[in-house]
Order: sequence, then C-alpha cells, then structure tokens
Amino acid sequence: MTVIEQNSDANDRRRQRAKERLYVLCQMGGWTFFLLLQLVFIRVFNPKADSYQLAALVQTMTLGVLITHYGRRYLTQWGWKELGWRKLVPRILGFGALQSTLWCIAGYGLYYGGLQMDWPEKVSPVALVLASWINGSIVLVGWLCVYFFYQLFDRFNRLDIERLRLIATVKEAELRALKSQVNPHFIFNALNSLRALIDEDPVRARQAVTQLANLLRYSLQSGQLETVPLEDELRIVNDYLALEQVRHEERLRLRLDVSPETLQLPIPPMLLQTLVENVVKYGISASPDGGEIAIITRRESGGLHLQVTNPGELAAATPAKPSNTAAGSTGVGLRNAADRLRLLFGDTASLQLRSLTPKVVVAEAHIPLQPSKVPAT
Amino acid sequence: MKALLIDDERLARNELRRLLADFSAIQIVGEAANAKQAREQLAALQPDLFFLDVQMPGETGMELLESLEPPVPQVIFTTAYDEFAVKAFELNALDYLLKPVDPARLAAAIERLPLKGGARAPAAEKPAKLAAEDKVFVREGDRCWFVEVKQIRLLESEGNYTRVHFEDAQPQLFRSLNAMEDRLDPKFFFRANRRQIINFAWIDKIEPWFSGGLLVQLKGGAKVELSRRQAQEFREKMSL
Repeated sequence: MTVIEQNSDANDRRRQRAKERLYVLCQMGGWTFFLLLQLVFIRVFNPKADSYQLAALVQTMTLGVLITHYGRRYLTQWGWKELGWRKLVPRILGFGALQSTLWCIAGYGLYYGGLQMDWPEKVSPVALVLASWINGSIVLVGWLCVYFFYQLFDRFNRLDIERLRLIATVKEAELRALKSQVNPHFIFNALNSLRALIDEDPVRARQAVTQLANLLRYSLQSGQLETVPLEDELRIVNDYLALEQVRHEERLRLRLDVSPETLQLPIPPMLLQTLVENVVKYGISASPDGGEIAIITRRESGGLHLQVTNPGELAAATPAKPSNTAAGSTGVGLRNAADRLRLLFGDTASLQLRSLTPKVVVAEAHIPLQPSKVPAT
Repeated sequence: MKALLIDDERLARNELRRLLADFSAIQIVGEAANAKQAREQLAALQPDLFFLDVQMPGETGMELLESLEPPVPQVIFTTAYDEFAVKAFELNALDYLLKPVDPARLAAAIERLPLKGGARAPAAEKPAKLAAEDKVFVREGDRCWFVEVKQIRLLESEGNYTRVHFEDAQPQLFRSLNAMEDRLDPKFFFRANRRQIINFAWIDKIEPWFSGGLLVQLKGGAKVELSRRQAQEFREKMSL
C-alpha cells in the first residue's frame, strides 16, 4: 500500500509539473500568436502605422500576459476549478469584464498618462476606451474559456484515474481478504498431527477432526459476511487453539478473559483469528519453550477493545532474518487485518502491535459498534 | 542406516516413527525437538540420516545444517506447506517429504538414499579429514547445496568466510579458509597462496609465471597464482 501511495504521490507531482509546463507554453505561445496576428492586421490595414503604435501594441500584449497570469492565481484560490459549467459561465463573464477594465486602465494610463502621448484626432476618447474594453473582454473571456475547458477535461481525466485507483484498492483488499483464510501451513501440520493422533488417542482425534472442520467451514464462509458476533469468532478461535494445543502440547498455554457484555458485539470475521494465529506463530512456534497467550475483550468508549498478548519481543514479531520468510508472511496477516478493519469501519477502528512489557507483545484492536458504509464500487 | 528424527512436534515425530517401522533398512537412533538437541544427538549418536523439519522454533532446519561441521549426514527434509522451501528443494534437487507423509513417497525417498551406510568415522578427538564423497552444506539466499568435496574446484578466503567454487556456483561457507584447510585432505587439495586452496583434480593447465612462480588454470576458467616458494612445494607434491 505505502509503495503504491508513494508512487501516486510522485505521479501527482510529475503531473503537476507537466501541467505547469503546458500552461507556460500555451500562455507564451497564445499571446505571441495574438501579437503576430495584430501586427499582420496593422501592416495590412494601416501601412502608415508608426513605431509608437507598434510599441503600444507590444505594451498592451505584455499587460495582457501579466493580467491573465496573475488572475490565474485567484481562479485557483477561489476554487473555480472545481465548479460546474453552470456556475462557471457568469463568473467567467464577470471576471473577464473585470480583467478587461484593469487592462484598459493600465494600458491607457501607461500610454497616455505615463508616456504623455497625444490623443488620436477625430476619435472620441470614450468610444475608443469602450471599444478597447469590449475587445479586451472578448479576448479575456476567450482566454478563460480555453483555461477552464482544459481544467474540466483534466478533472474528468483525474476522476477517471482516481476511480480506477479506488477499484484497484478495493479489489486488492478483497483478494487479501480471501487470503486471510486459515494458514495452509497450519492446516497441513494439523492433518499430520491428526494422523498420529488416530492411533494414539482416537477420542481426541475425532474431536480434532470436528474442530478442524469447524475452522475450515468458518474460514470459507467468512468472505460472505461483513461482521459476526464476537461469540462466534471466539468459538472458532477456541477450536483453532485446541488444534494448536494438539501440535504444541504443553508449549502452548492459554488464558481467556472475556467480558460477557462483549459477546454480541460485531467483529469482522477472522480478525481475532488472525491476531491469535499471529501470536501462535511468533510467540509460541518461534520459541522452544513456548509460553502463555491471553485473549482479553472489553467494551469501552462505544466499541469493542480486543487484546491478544504473547511472550516475545516486538522485533521478533517482524523477523529480519530472511530464513524465516519461508514461514510465510512477515506481518502481512496483521496488515491485512488492519486494512480490512479500516475498509469496514473507517478511521475510528484501529489495530496495532506494541510491547506491553519487555517480554510481552500485545496486539490491540479497537472496533466501533457500527460498521461505516464504504462507497460501493 | 541410523536415522535421527528432527521435528518440534512430538506427534509429528511419532507419526514418522510409525511410518518408518516398515523400513528395516532405517534404524531410528534418536529424536530431537530443536536444533540444539539435534546437535547434541548428532555428536552422541552419529546418525547417517536426518529427517529434518524445515520450520522449527529457534533455528530453522537450514540454519541447523549450515552450522554443522562437515561432513553433513544425508538429509530428507519434511515440511507441512511451504511454497518457498519446496521451490528451493526442487531447484536444488534435495529430497523432501510433505506432511502428512505419503508412505509411497517415503519409500521412494528411502530408495534413493545411497546404500553405503555407516560411513561416518566414529567421533575422534580431532575431526577426521573429509573424504572425497563427503558432503558440505552451503546456502546462499534461496539456493542450497550438498556439495561433494571432490566437486569443489577452488576455495577462496573472504575474511571469516570461505567462497566455495563448484559447478557453476560459488556460495559462501560460514567457516574460515584455515578451518577448511585443516579438514581437507592434502592428497587432493593444495594451499596455493594465503587466499586460495585448489583441488588437484580440477587443474587444467600450468604455466611458468614471474620469478619462478606458477600460474595454475583450473577447469572452469579460474586462474590461481603460486609464488616461488609455493610453486616449489607444488612441484614436489605433483612429482610424488
């Protein structure tokens, strides 16, 4: 997950830079083209135009570049990029007119005020300014239209990408939920122990067959349910632990501290099972002397609080030695459980691993009473 | 053949014991629940064959093998379900059994064992030299090998480790070159210089080198330089 997120961050930055480059290119290219067009017009219709008029044209275009460039900041600031076209149209018209006014003031101010140029004869100043203003408005509204047209297109693209990414995430989570079924290593070890037990203790062997059947059935069905009452999950965890006790014998000791008011609280199926499996794997299987594991459930602050403790050190829970990767995942089971919990209950749910004392590791989960509805895709 | 069962589960060991009862060639001399016990049993009982569980608390089966002073016994691995291990076994043509063990599969594995049983010398004060057919266990990443000593062309010192060249692989062995030299038979192996030991059987060409030294080229391409003093010793050995 984190790798994907980092990648998407980097992708976003790369996209942002590409967009910025495109903007600079369009802004410079567009205005240069517009300037050239104007020069051609002047050459054709007014061959006697002097260099002052040409300079005024360049000055006007430069002002246009600046006004649109700095105006663009406000478009982002005011959040216009996220608006629909219905709300956008009047805003574009208004903003275009406002920018055009600024353009006229700056342009005429500089030319006739700053540079003290003479007013052209035979033209009313009002008509000239008004014509310029209308012209400017058309150009600027055109600019804004191109800008927002691109933004709409880009947003559509982005949403599409986002949607695909979300689908991928959900699919991945579903896949991993399927994989969160009982560890095959455990199943085959249990079958092996069972085979030995058939001769040694037929009564216990028959019991173990039933327990393994319960566990497999529950695990296969768990994909279909969002939550189950804690009681059901505890029953299966008990079966599982009974089977592990067949394997590990006196090395596995168990302490249950279940508060009765928690029995009916909802929990994602296989969550507690995953925590317990993890504890057996790293706390019991990894140490020649085994140890005691404890399951503690409490109802608190509007939710269910689960604690599973095992002897060991936290470092041992995520083995660094490559030889141990053969045993299966390195914390993948726990990460899956945390992802599933978040998908189902949102951010109010939590799952973490920490050291209780130097010799005891605890896996803690907090599960709210109500699952939050995730948007279905 | 004397076999040692190594598995952390008592029931798994019992089950294997029951299955092995049908094979008169296999005599179970002991059991071990972890790597530490296995080492003790190995020293005390001198088994020729390990039935070795890959996943064990503490050290894994692979780590146990790596820690053993060569020669290592024959090994049949056992595992319940482990895609990584099974892939490694198949890649390296090591014999393994999947638990619960299929009796027919067990028979096939025992069939494949070399017949010469009890080849291990009794525990001596000083470990005996390795024979040409003795095996050394080496591992690198996912790959592992039981290398016959005669297959080793060249051993190179790398600090406290030794790089072992054989076939087309050169994994590291967790032993110093000096420790290896003590165990190698001087009839077959020669200390060419401070860093390298070569196997006479793998010499391809010998050329005169600077100031009375020799350049020995091994089959497979490696070239090893001998100083004048070592060249002298080398000539004496070769002329024997």
